Amino acid sequence: MSNPLILAVPSKGRLKEQVEAWLSDCGLSLSVTGGSRGYMAELKGVPGIQVRLLSAGDIAEALDLGEVHLGITGEDLLRERAGDVDARILLLRALGFGRADLVVAVPKSWIDVESMSDLEEVAHDLLARSGRRMRVATKYLAQTRSFFARHGVVDYRITESGGATEGAPAAGSAELVVDITTTGATLVANGLKILADGVILKSQAQLTASLRADWSGERLAAAERLLRVIEARAAAHDSATLAWPADPREAPVVEALIADGASRRPNGLLVAASRIGQASLALTAAGIGPVTASRPDFVYEAGCVPYNKLLKRVQI
Amino acid sequence: MRAEPNLPPEALAAIRAPFLATGAEPVDAPILQPLALILELAGEAMRARLFVVQAEGGQETCLRPDFTVPVVRQHLDSGKLAGRYVYEGKAFRASPDADRPEEFRQIGLERFDDAAAPVAPADAEIAALAWTAALAGGRDDLSLWLGDIALFAAFIDDQGLAPSLAARLKRVAARPRLLAAELARAGAEPETQADSGKLAGLLSGLSEAEAATVLEEVWALAGIDPVGGRGPAAIAQRLIRRAQAASAPALTLEQADSITRFLAVDDAPQAAFAAIRAVAGAKAPALDGALSDWTQRLDLLAQAGVPLERTRFATALGHAFDYYDGLTFEVRSAALHPDRAVAVGGRYDGLPARLGGAPGARAVGCMVRPWRAWTGGES
Repeated sequence: MSNPLILAVPSKGRLKEQVEAWLSDCGLSLSVTGGSRGYMAELKGVPGIQVRLLSAGDIAEALDLGEVHLGITGEDLLRERAGDVDARILLLRALGFGRADLVVAVPKSWIDVESMSDLEEVAHDLLARSGRRMRVATKYLAQTRSFFARHGVVDYRITESGGATEGAPAAGSAELVVDITTTGATLVANGLKILADGVILKSQAQLTASLRADWSGERLAAAERLLRVIEARAAAHDSATLAWPADPREAPVVEALIADGASRRPNGLLVAASRIGQASLALTAAGIGPVTASRPDFVYEAGCVPYNKLLKRVQI
Repeated sequence: MRAEPNLPPEALAAIRAPFLATGAEPVDAPILQPLALILELAGEAMRARLFVVQAEGGQETCLRPDFTVPVVRQHLDSGKLAGRYVYEGKAFRASPDADRPEEFRQIGLERFDDAAAPVAPADAEIAALAWTAALAGGRDDLSLWLGDIALFAAFIDDQGLAPSLAARLKRVAARPRLLAAELARAGAEPETQADSGKLAGLLSGLSEAEAATVLEEVWALAGIDPVGGRGPAAIAQRLIRRAQAASAPALTLEQADSITRFLAVDDAPQAAFAAIRAVAGAKAPALDGALSDWTQRLDLLAQAGVPLERTRFATALGHAFDYYDGLTFEVRSAALHPDRAVAVGGRYDGLPARLGGAPGARAVGCMVRPWRAWTGGES
């Protein structure tokens, strides 16, 4: 492996466990190789890939700077990188875990504030009356700034917060917060409520490519191998195969189902998992049966959408 | 950090000469400015453009993005009511745009007067100075763009709108998205009262102290622990104002149309003022007062040697720094994009008071970018 593709995965916490579970569901596993502290690993099942274990925040930075080729981290952290981040990274697949919303939350006692336009007015009043700007505690500076600008809120100040942001209003160090929440319970416990139009980002973990990284040599081929496995597994989760004894009456029913999105298989059909019942019923109603539905382990399509997107965007 | 090239000393001296001829007191400003103060005055949108510097354990500072705030502070520290200060040096603003210098030279002048001083002569002096200095750079394609933040307020005052609506329009004048939303709402029916509207109705009949007590009871009933810097009285008052604003009529379609036409005015000054007058309708006392000041400003500009055929008036001319509150102007070169003005300036009477000065004082200033003014410079 002279020029390996580098994949960065979270090195700790809940996100690390979720990524490991997801990889093993795809039939891949990490085997730690480098160093006694175990911050390097190999991906068993796909050759040409070196795994680097980093914190979620460092993964966002490494992707942005092109120090790694692929990485798994939260979209909230990627969006916090300065400038036009979409010119430097490419989101390849939303992974369905690590969900969190970046929200604007104000004290519940502000019963006159329900929306961003209320906030705009209150901020203006506060500045006009006291000469002070409303303080917003957050560590998400870039997203707060652009979201507030989009809503015309200008009379505010950000106070940077390292941790326990949601406690800032109670502590008196800010009037409101912009923070990550999964259930909203922590915000409520701190006497805060989320504004009706105050959801800045619905974030989740994303498999992401760096467009700045060096993609020469065998790296694109390694990325394609990995992406094909991942996509095949994701497609398998969404589909089912139907099989039945050959029947002379099946043609019109099968054609209708194909028109509806199913695809033909040697002994039957591949359908979306959500349509198993409906498709089987259409067959049995025509007297065809018994219909056996089974779930495939992998569905490899001829093309691979995320790989094609990546191919179009990277410089070699 | 991308630094602007230096221009030849004789070219720089020519641009500097009109500033020195004013006899204003030369001042300098520390390159490091307190970050919190700059953000407090210029707003959070400025943060992306600041170079933030911090020594270990020290206060957060930024490289000066301009000279206005430090010069105002020096003036206030001097304790004098009136003063004129000239400065020259590098200012620093970060830019994602790869061909825009982030370290650049400015020469400027800030003029302070007491509350009794007439504004038009001071405005004309500063705008004429910016024009003369810019012209000394040698470009023959310059034009002087004039605007007036206070004109919109006068125009709105004459429209006979509900106070809450008038206040809102003045506030959003410089924010295109909010203004568009307000104009789009024109002709709409007043909103029906929500639950908070009913509470507002109850509160509006009470004294301020009683309203605050009722609100505290509402919090207690709802199990809400008040946090954050706003007290019950402030929240009760705003609930009342919000309910009044919601039940007040929106703009009529005619009013929205005249606001749109007002903000679209962009013409030679006399033609622009005629257009503004036509939009405003028969009775416009506030606007008439503001426009007669402009007749005087134009006369004074012409006397100071500014060719009026190279001036333009645009009602929408605004600035990134939101502390201008009267005259605004820009000297633009036809060879440079409009957002790369050769010189800018304006009146900012409100800023000294926000920095602790006496209310009512007058302040106006301008700044020229020599590298943009010089014919051999920015292209």
